[in-house]
Amino acid sequence: MKQIKFASASALALLMALGCHAAKADDASALKDTSKSGIALSNSYAGNTWRQQMLRVWQAAAQQAIDGHIIAKTKIVNADASAPQQASQIENLILEGWNSIVLDAASPTALNGSIEDACKQGITVVVFDSLATAPCAYKVAYDYVEAGRIPARFIVQQLHGKGNVLVVRGMPGTQVDVDEFQGAQEVFKENPGIKVVGTVNGQWTESVANKEVAGILPSLPKVDAVIGQGGDSVGTYQAFKAAGRPIPLITLGTRQEELALWEKLDKATPGGYATEASSSVPGVSSIAFWVAQQIVAGRKVPNVVKVSLLQISKADLATWLKVTPVGAVASPVYSKEWTIDLLKSIAANTAPPPSPGPTQNK
Amino acid sequence: MSSFRRWTATHSWIWSFLGAGALMIVMLPFLRGQGIEQVGQVAIQFATFYVMVGLGQMLVIALGSGNIDLSVPGTITLAGFVGLSVSSGATGTLGACGAAVAIGIGAGIGNAVLIQVLQIPPMIATLSSGFVLQSLAIAFSRGASAVPSPLLQAISVHRFAGVPDLAIILILASLTVGLVLRQTRFGRTVLASGQSIRAARLTGLSVNSTIAIVYILSGIFAALTGLFLAASVGGASLDMGQEYLLFSIAVVVLGGTAISGGEASPTGVWGAALLLVLSVTLLNILGVGAGVRFLATGIIIVGVLGVTKPRED
Repeated sequence: MKQIKFASASALALLMALGCHAAKADDASALKDTSKSGIALSNSYAGNTWRQQMLRVWQAAAQQAIDGHIIAKTKIVNADASAPQQASQIENLILEGWNSIVLDAASPTALNGSIEDACKQGITVVVFDSLATAPCAYKVAYDYVEAGRIPARFIVQQLHGKGNVLVVRGMPGTQVDVDEFQGAQEVFKENPGIKVVGTVNGQWTESVANKEVAGILPSLPKVDAVIGQGGDSVGTYQAFKAAGRPIPLITLGTRQEELALWEKLDKATPGGYATEASSSVPGVSSIAFWVAQQIVAGRKVPNVVKVSLLQISKADLATWLKVTPVGAVASPVYSKEWTIDLLKSIAANTAPPPSPGPTQNK
Repeated sequence: MSSFRRWTATHSWIWSFLGAGALMIVMLPFLRGQGIEQVGQVAIQFATFYVMVGLGQMLVIALGSGNIDLSVPGTITLAGFVGLSVSSGATGTLGACGAAVAIGIGAGIGNAVLIQVLQIPPMIATLSSGFVLQSLAIAFSRGASAVPSPLLQAISVHRFAGVPDLAIILILASLTVGLVLRQTRFGRTVLASGQSIRAARLTGLSVNSTIAIVYILSGIFAALTGLFLAASVGGASLDMGQEYLLFSIAVVVLGGTAISGGEASPTGVWGAALLLVLSVTLLNILGVGAGVRFLATGIIIVGVLGVTKPRED
């Protein structure tokens, strides 16, 4: 009896000691020093505004880390939307001895081989935006199904559950488009008073959206709302205007021209123009950067780090417009502290920190 | 019947117009009230840009011997960005047009040097110069686009009696190009080179300078397309030129211009542009999914090509 009591007491003591140690591992002071480390970015495509901005944000975050002696060096490598090219670039990065490789993948599966090679060498791999399916890679993921639900819910609420909706989709064949469409469909199916009268592909490009919506408009009845995926609302607006139709509720992304349109319509409509603006942002590269740095420093991070969309309300509209240059996408730059808060909230299963406010975009 | 066949063989542009007309008829039951007039207006508005770049591509393809201009997307994008930022500067709209033309000339000279001096096959030469132009666009813009001056945007969208000003200008331009091809020495040299470049040279025609001028013209057409396209939408984007690579060639070939050269049909370019825009519109109206849409567009193109046969030997 005495032995059992002693054994269980020591077991309990051991467990408590281990428990305290585990709790301590989460403490920042127990994290490793990463000031000699290097984090590289392998980007699949640099040919559009969103990607260019994403790269600028990465450079800013990495430079800040280098100046603060948090890491030693960084490098950006761009492919031309070619998976084999990106795969060979990743292999080069492995040979160069980087501690962490962060990627925006050209393909969900074609890079898995190189990613596994990197993981085998002990390199931390973090994928963001366009994800890869390799199990060893950490994923900084947007929930694009929710991204489709948010504007759909807003439309249902504004139309009081009844009305005609035109759907403008993104680039056909991409997971982002499939997910956003799925989310919107879910919400519309729950509200039988909402009728989808047409679907076109705007490909997240204003000029394409303009052409597609203008083409289908002559065949449509009265349109009460248009749901887009971002980067397509100004083209949609122009099509309605050119056709001489009343301007419906158009949901927006967070590109500067879309926010400017909101401001213009708000001033021109008596009673204001109600809509919502939400989007994934190029600033996600700074989240991915800090997640990589934290993993190299030894923090326990789940395989999937969920990030919430940027949502801009009418109250913030003016501030965001001030800091977003023409042609750019409105995007916060996420700091190390914010990312740590996000990781902590995921570990503790609490609400994520609120989106940081507008910061000056260069 | 045989005289009909003969007429259509030498006027092969008629098929694309018939196709476009057929599509409009198919669309009728789906349109409401003023629908057909609006569809026609929209079709002309967007066909205009295909024609603008198609005229230049047509001249290049008419040269034969594998001549083709694949640098069109890069020229469109670079001219869009540069033109827009110049338009809001001191020189205004005129300066913007000048800048676009200068870019077109530069692109054309670059292509001509690669093809004629370095003897690089046109497909590869223009593809590479296209990459260079696209990279210049990326470097110049860093992704962010300037906004067009109000005058420039107004010109791009203004309509005269329901027809866009640009379309009217372009109809005049097409007539001019047609006249040049038939009546001027330059134009006949283009067609002669396409039919037999060796014979053209032996006859003493200035084939080499003609080829260079044609590439320059193609560059100018593409650059102006980029400028007005960006102005009409209110901003340039780095992928704005993408669809023009294939469509610029499609409108030329569908319009009855032989891919082997020697034949050119500006009228056909209009018919093909209308056909392509209307087929996309019809598919949207029918609510067809993206996958089926690509299939249907391909079938329409192959169908029209199958019926369109340029001059029978």
